[in-house]
Amino acid sequence: MDPTQLLKGVLDLAVLAVLRDEDGYGYDILRRLRAAGIEDVGDASVYGTLRRLFNSGLLTSYVVPSDEGPHRKYYAINAAGRAELQRSGKIWHSFASVMDDLLRERGTA
Amino acid sequence: MNVTAQDEIFNYVEGVRQALGGLPAATREELLEDLPEHLAEVLAEGGGTLVGRLGSPSTYAAELIASAGLADAAADERPARGARLGQLRAQARDAMRRADVRFGPLLGYAKASEFLVLLRPAWWVLRGYLVAMAFAYVVDDNGGPIGLLPRIGNNELVALLLLAAAVLGSIWLGRRGEPAQRMPRLLLRGGGVALAIFAFAGFLETDGQARDGAYLEMSYVSEYSDVRDVFVYDSRGNLVQGAQLYDQYGNPMRFGDPGCYEEGTGNWVASRQLGYPYCPEQAPFRSSAGNSDPRRAEPSEGPAEPAAPSPSGLP
Repeated sequence: MDPTQLLKGVLDLAVLAVLRDEDGYGYDILRRLRAAGIEDVGDASVYGTLRRLFNSGLLTSYVVPSDEGPHRKYYAINAAGRAELQRSGKIWHSFASVMDDLLRERGTA
Repeated sequence: MNVTAQDEIFNYVEGVRQALGGLPAATREELLEDLPEHLAEVLAEGGGTLVGRLGSPSTYAAELIASAGLADAAADERPARGARLGQLRAQARDAMRRADVRFGPLLGYAKASEFLVLLRPAWWVLRGYLVAMAFAYVVDDNGGPIGLLPRIGNNELVALLLLAAAVLGSIWLGRRGEPAQRMPRLLLRGGGVALAIFAFAGFLETDGQARDGAYLEMSYVSEYSDVRDVFVYDSRGNLVQGAQLYDQYGNPMRFGDPGCYEEGTGNWVASRQLGYPYCPEQAPFRSSAGNSDPRRAEPSEGPAEPAAPSPSGLP
């Protein structure tokens, strides 16, 4: 099974999740995802996802001047984003537990 | 970051930009916004070249489009107009982009468009001026030549007010940015092109007037342009025949063509006279008619005037 296929469906959720506690800019968010174990995510996918979440009103953004490099565009989750995170999180949990059960039954059978 | 790294980043961004060509410009720039800084971070990691690390620019662009949910938007625009037209547009866009990068250094910028963007407010001001001029040209039909001010009814105050209103309006419109809907955007661009054409035509006409004006003033012809013949009378009111006229530079002064319209028939016949008047039989005053001083009788007589400065030494 190709993990990138699986990831497509849940990248929104993963990005919202890593922004839950702390705002971040593109590269920073990518690093957090990788650190969390999502190794195969493409750089472009993260930026595209950020753009889409921003356009659908789940994220806000602001620019922070940086001393050593170019200005950075930070993304922050807003109330709508948190609501979406909670809703999608629930769906994921129930889906994941269904899958777990399914695999366990097959495995024990 | 050294120069080669910057070049690598620039090339990669341009590659992605080209691959995003099917998207509306605003969306494309949005997507590209934080790409350069991201590429700088990736290079700073030291994991090899950008292409080695991220894949080709077109792969990156495809992933960007797919994950941003824009695949439909990118696909929509093409087949709707016919594939051939879409292809032509893409080629034109590519050519523009190459010219943009090539001519930029001539202006001292990475891309010519960077410089042109700086000129945008100047275009807004010019556009306001041109709108005022076009408006005055259409509304004010006095048939006079186009000046430099948008005059309506020959009134400077109205012209200045109209100019100020049009310029401020154009700036306001410019600051609002391009309209999001297709129709108003096309109207705005079409209007700009029409104004540019109008400006070019008006510029040529005004330039022509300025040059003609200078010529007319120098040769002093305008005041006497309808003079066909000249009649010189001496101090006793006798018609002088075969007179030659010169200005203060010694240049001969010529009025009309050497010929006469025959009385009665109205046919034009070449004159046999060696000077003015060409047609002595058509003299307005005749000494034999009993009027000894025609100048007193007609003090404001026009045709005699040019004779005054003529130098002595004439036959």
